[in-house]
Amino acid sequence: MSTIAPEPVAGARTGLAGLLVVPATLFVAIGLLGPIAILFRYSLNQFIPGQFMVDGLTIENYVKFFTDSYYLTVLARTVRVAVMCTIACLVMGFPLAYVLARTQSRFKNLLIIAVVLPLFVGNAVRAAGWMTAFGSKGALNASLMGMGLIDQPLEIMFTENAVLIGIVAVNLPFMVLTLQSVIEGIPRNVEEAAFSLGAGPAAMFRRVLWPLALPGILAGTILTFILAMNAYATPVLLGGPKFQMMGPLVYGQFAQQNNWPFGGAISFILMTATILLTVAAHLIVQRRYR
Amino acid sequence: MARLSIEHLRKTYGDLTVVNDVNIDIADGEFLVLLGPSGCGKTTTLRMVAGFIAPSAGSITIGERSVTTLPPWKRNCGLVFQSYALFPHMTVAENVAFGLEMRKIPPADRAPRVAEALRLVQLAGFDERYPRQLSGGQQQRVALARALAMEPDVLLLDEPLSNLDAKLRQEVRVEIRDLQRKLGLTTIMVTHDQEEALTMADRLVVMEKGEVRQIGTQRELYERPADRFVAGFIGRSAFLDGDIVAPGRFRTKGGVAIGCAAATRIGAATLALRPERIAVGGEADGLHNRFEARVEHASYLGAILEIDVSLSGPDAIDKDRMLLQIPNKAGIAEPKPGETITIGWAEDAGLVYPREG
Repeated sequence: MSTIAPEPVAGARTGLAGLLVVPATLFVAIGLLGPIAILFRYSLNQFIPGQFMVDGLTIENYVKFFTDSYYLTVLARTVRVAVMCTIACLVMGFPLAYVLARTQSRFKNLLIIAVVLPLFVGNAVRAAGWMTAFGSKGALNASLMGMGLIDQPLEIMFTENAVLIGIVAVNLPFMVLTLQSVIEGIPRNVEEAAFSLGAGPAAMFRRVLWPLALPGILAGTILTFILAMNAYATPVLLGGPKFQMMGPLVYGQFAQQNNWPFGGAISFILMTATILLTVAAHLIVQRRYR
Repeated sequence: MARLSIEHLRKTYGDLTVVNDVNIDIADGEFLVLLGPSGCGKTTTLRMVAGFIAPSAGSITIGERSVTTLPPWKRNCGLVFQSYALFPHMTVAENVAFGLEMRKIPPADRAPRVAEALRLVQLAGFDERYPRQLSGGQQQRVALARALAMEPDVLLLDEPLSNLDAKLRQEVRVEIRDLQRKLGLTTIMVTHDQEEALTMADRLVVMEKGEVRQIGTQRELYERPADRFVAGFIGRSAFLDGDIVAPGRFRTKGGVAIGCAAATRIGAATLALRPERIAVGGEADGLHNRFEARVEHASYLGAILEIDVSLSGPDAIDKDRMLLQIPNKAGIAEPKPGETITIGWAEDAGLVYPREG
């Protein structure tokens, strides 16, 4: 074995490493930070109907959001839906990820593809499919009513439940894949050691598997939470016009109301809420388990 | 501590039999080693005792308790893995206390037992370290302390030294052996390392192809190997294929006649000779079997010279090749290929086994 530590990154000494990060950095700077900065500037502008946007430096757009119970309800609903979806993804995703990580089956790769398969169908296409399947005149209700099992069509579409199910279906693969890769990195021997020391399955999970999978659990929940907070197609198509969430609300302000300053403000509130909740969850979990 | 009894243990996967009718009785406080080449079923046997693999048939009894159908967490078997399998998110003390915690022993009572276990493995004062801060040998000692702290009925060691470097392996080997004796632990160790097995075991079980070939002490296995496999696996043997033509008379394939007291049943056979029973040069004078052997190849291995010789002449179809091991005494030069050396052995030196193939 060599006693000289290798360079952490190939080419670190020649400055090549610095060059390697340039393209991605530029891309993020131009594609993300720039628009965000502009958006933030817009959110401080005034909106006067008929005049579109007037340059200014005011917080009235933010005040408007936080003083109107309608918008606060939308924010609360978005957070609620995102939290519930994330929990559902974790509860359903962990066992699935565990089985995928531990299976010795030669069909393992096929199983992983099966998990990713739903992502091959875009959100909008999927939601459209559900509208035809679960709508009041859709396949399910038509069959049930045709068989005389129900008189009134089941109200599945355009409810919060429909949105929850829709978002979970989209986000679950992200959770499963994140957890699976982390669980695969936990040696099976460690679980067996816990069993041999007298830990039953529940105790093993609580004291060994969960804490060791925690980095993956954090990554997976953050990923699905962010996706759920910013969901657009699913709430629009499955929630209907009355079920407003933050994503569609932002888009409406820009595209329909032409109110760019208020749209910018809502964007910033959504982004800040997402970051704050993510960081808070991270801190709470870390404090409990480290 | 308790005795352990394995009866008619069997494991099959479909048509594949991995462990076939294994019967082992281990006395209270005995150190038993399962030895065999990889794929011989020794690890599967150990994992069935630990409860990670359900046997297809047979029973396992620890003390008076049949554990055959019990899950691993109810068996009270202390297990030490090749890869240590410490809990990386817990300190050394937490690792060692884990078994006690699972047994609902109050924290105040755990501390002295953890300290005692760590003292036994000479790691007192390492309580607050994390496994990643320890060397491989220290990690394996923590794993041992963790298994000992819960006072297991049986200690199971799954190739515990294979991940350690040679010098450390010797050290930890002696430590484990001393601890096992001191605490009177009934122990099963699995290994493929013959030297490790011979130095540590009270008794050894040689396994091959899922079956027990022989159970016995080191001396029994070496001096009276039950079959050709054991004769070749425990220590070295020189083998000569041929036939027993009359009681006491063995004839090699190449036609060399050898007197052999162990040859009784007439038929195809293999003669096995331990290297130290074969005399070379002047030492061979006066021995019943004395031959001029032609050197085919010689290797210098430090403490010994390994010489491949053939007994029959260069014209024979079957040259009756055999491998000699000569102690490297001062002044001995290794012979060159083509040279002739005198070798010999006593009539009672060889063992015979039915010829395979």
